[in-house]
Amino acid sequence: MSGPFPVAITGMGCICAPGDTVGECMDALFRERKDPALPLRFTSSHSISYPVFEVSNDLMSLEPRGITDITRTGRLALFAAHEAISNAGLDQELETMRGQRVGVCVGTTVGTTMNNEDFYRQYLKGEQPDMVQIIRLLNSNPAAVIAREFDLCGPCQTVVNACSSGTDAIGLGASWIKAGLCDIVLAGGTDELCHVTYNGFISLMIADDSPCKPFDKERKGLNLGEGAAILVLESENSRRSRNKKARAFVLGYGASCDAYHFTAPHPEGRGLRRAIGEAIALGNITTDNIAFVNAHGTGTPDNDRTESMVLADMLPGVPFLSTKGYTGHTLGAAGAIEAVFSVACLEMGRIPRNAGFSTPDPDLPVTPADTEMVVKGPVALSESLAFGGHNAVLAFGIDRGLS
Amino acid sequence: MTVKEQLKKIIVEELNLEEISPEEIEDDAPLFGEGLGLDSLDAVEIVVLLEKHFGVEIKSLDEGREAFRSINTLAAYIEERMPR
Amino acid sequence: MKLAIRGVGAVGGFGCGLEALNAALSSGDHKTKHVVVKTAQGPCEMPAYLADTSRLEYFLNKRALRRVDHYSRMALLGAYLALEDAGRLDEDRSRMGIIIASGYGPGRATLVFLDTFIHDGDGLSSPTSFSNSVQNAAAANISILLNITGPGLTVGQLEMSVPSALIAASLWLEEGKVDSVLFGAVDEYHDELGYFWHRFFGEKATADHEMKPFEFDLQTGIPGEGAAFFLLTRADEGVSPYGCIEDVIINRCDRSPLEIPKDALLFIGADGHKQCGKYYKEHLPENVQLACYTPIYGSLPMGPAFDMAIAALSFKQGMIFPSQACTGDERALDVNRITCLKISGSGEAGLISLIKGN
Repeated sequence: MSGPFPVAITGMGCICAPGDTVGECMDALFRERKDPALPLRFTSSHSISYPVFEVSNDLMSLEPRGITDITRTGRLALFAAHEAISNAGLDQELETMRGQRVGVCVGTTVGTTMNNEDFYRQYLKGEQPDMVQIIRLLNSNPAAVIAREFDLCGPCQTVVNACSSGTDAIGLGASWIKAGLCDIVLAGGTDELCHVTYNGFISLMIADDSPCKPFDKERKGLNLGEGAAILVLESENSRRSRNKKARAFVLGYGASCDAYHFTAPHPEGRGLRRAIGEAIALGNITTDNIAFVNAHGTGTPDNDRTESMVLADMLPGVPFLSTKGYTGHTLGAAGAIEAVFSVACLEMGRIPRNAGFSTPDPDLPVTPADTEMVVKGPVALSESLAFGGHNAVLAFGIDRGLS
Repeated sequence: MTVKEQLKKIIVEELNLEEISPEEIEDDAPLFGEGLGLDSLDAVEIVVLLEKHFGVEIKSLDEGREAFRSINTLAAYIEERMPR
Repeated sequence: MKLAIRGVGAVGGFGCGLEALNAALSSGDHKTKHVVVKTAQGPCEMPAYLADTSRLEYFLNKRALRRVDHYSRMALLGAYLALEDAGRLDEDRSRMGIIIASGYGPGRATLVFLDTFIHDGDGLSSPTSFSNSVQNAAAANISILLNITGPGLTVGQLEMSVPSALIAASLWLEEGKVDSVLFGAVDEYHDELGYFWHRFFGEKATADHEMKPFEFDLQTGIPGEGAAFFLLTRADEGVSPYGCIEDVIINRCDRSPLEIPKDALLFIGADGHKQCGKYYKEHLPENVQLACYTPIYGSLPMGPAFDMAIAALSFKQGMIFPSQACTGDERALDVNRITCLKISGSGEAGLISLIKGN
């Protein structure tokens, strides 16, 4: 198999409950976690309350270029994209960038499907709902929103692979660079918290009514969150022409389908094993070089059982953690937010503790990082498992003679 | 209609088990795995159906595990808790 | 990288399967049905192209389909038909990837889920309905029921969904990630979508009419639904009668001229939307041989996949099917290249070029 990697990451942006920027998020991850709270942007009639990780910023200070009326999911994506562009030093070179082949590949849970609850309630009552709500939805396809903001005309792709969308979007975007389709790709994920998905996860009985506890014996499920993260992926030619150092590299990407069940992971983790194996093989990675694994670790009984079993088998002794205890499960954004965390942790040479974990589960063969740790090795893996049995794994590496 | 009969009808209709009729479900046959062959997604759907049709709430799947064995156990669980 | 088309499956307003598509193309019959749209003034009829998935029961039993909604059924049927057409229904699928392109995703299922808690309260939200509303539902159902264990991808990019998703198919095959890709596109009609049409276009949507795709200044669209699937492999596996996908280009037509190969027959995806029509009018090059088949399948974002199916069929039959722009009877195909062009309402252009042989 010919490897499409490595591909340089020259900028990153991230917004989620812990903070509005990559810096704020990383600071927060190494302090104590802020507990999730009841949702403020919508109300619900559940008999039990389920806390969430909301982003406090209302994002209304953003003034999108062209069409200004877009959804919160679109705004989150734009907010992170601006940070990433500026971090990559491209805010000074926007004109040059417009002359290049710049693609956008963004993961989210809903591309352009009509799921506007207010509109639908009015429609059901036989009222005449304002079509502005539908136009807003049509104008808020996340990849298109970013392309419009920076006036880009390369390939645009909104990946809707449920909870692995962010991871897949980065892997796919990296392959566009390597295949020579693009000079630069803005890749990542975005998702706002919404009443519809909130009800969905509660109905599946995989939401915890207390702060989530990934890999803990008492884990009961996930807390939902929201946010976005964008990475600037760049070709060697483009990066060298503007003398830009890579922060890190995408070394490998593996993806697979369990072909087992709609909502439950394969009990032996069949698909996850394949995705990890592929990411490692593509990057020519030896397991000794892996500093840590960012696990999907949602805190649901099934997910954490499958994931810890696979990690124990394939990567024994490699430290791992879930950051969902800080961010909640941000669905289509999760893989991208965790990609940013993984790269930042590689740069810092340490990982935060797996928030929410205190009691080892005798049924799980391994336990996550229960305290902040110094990590060695130049490589990190980041995993995502999604609805429908989809698995995706990225391998990131920092400069160890690669740059 | 008895609770068992209601349950069978609800299960067949709401879980779209078109190929069998409510009468064909045996009272003590396992609902999950071998037997009726329902799965984990059906389990959470049944939780919603019990609340909708009988006003009986199951707070966690662990709590419902025993009750979910068969029509007999499920009917007993409902009858004990059904609001009167 | 060239992708060979090994099998094609299609279901839509024209019927089920390639024979039905072929027959509709030859006769030029437009098989619209009447749907009823709820409006503030009361119910109102509207024409639409609808797909019938009853043939799926030939491939799968009722038990396997009990939780599968119309959206995923169209996709599943397309998938089975494409694999059957390729003669590869019984093959091992551990080195196959699944890619789905959809403009609107599972629209009906999303609202069915909303119905459960709007009617019964948040606490009675249905988990089964929620699962069906997840955007990768079709890819998930297909991978599970056909045991496809390679990578999966669902793309939601409105009218650019098909060309955008094809990029991934091409790269997966080029990188050797897979040996084949089951590539499909699906979009669904539902009552609320009809309502949007009524609100946006009023009588232009609801009056009995035919699509006139070349009347670029007029709103003549009729909503459609359906699925088109392709089994794709690397071209070096041997010649395919359906030809190969040679190139996919996505650009903005207000930024650079459309890169249409000189010797190509151009299938345009103009589907009666005035907002898109203005771009075709302005940017179509002169002296290019045109055809348009949207009146066979209707207006829908995944339309380029139907055009790809028609292009593949044209190569296989060696003929150009009649369309408004190339009037007259069927005639022999005198070109080796067909380019399918779709322009979105905001001026993005997707070009998919297919060539004869490999």
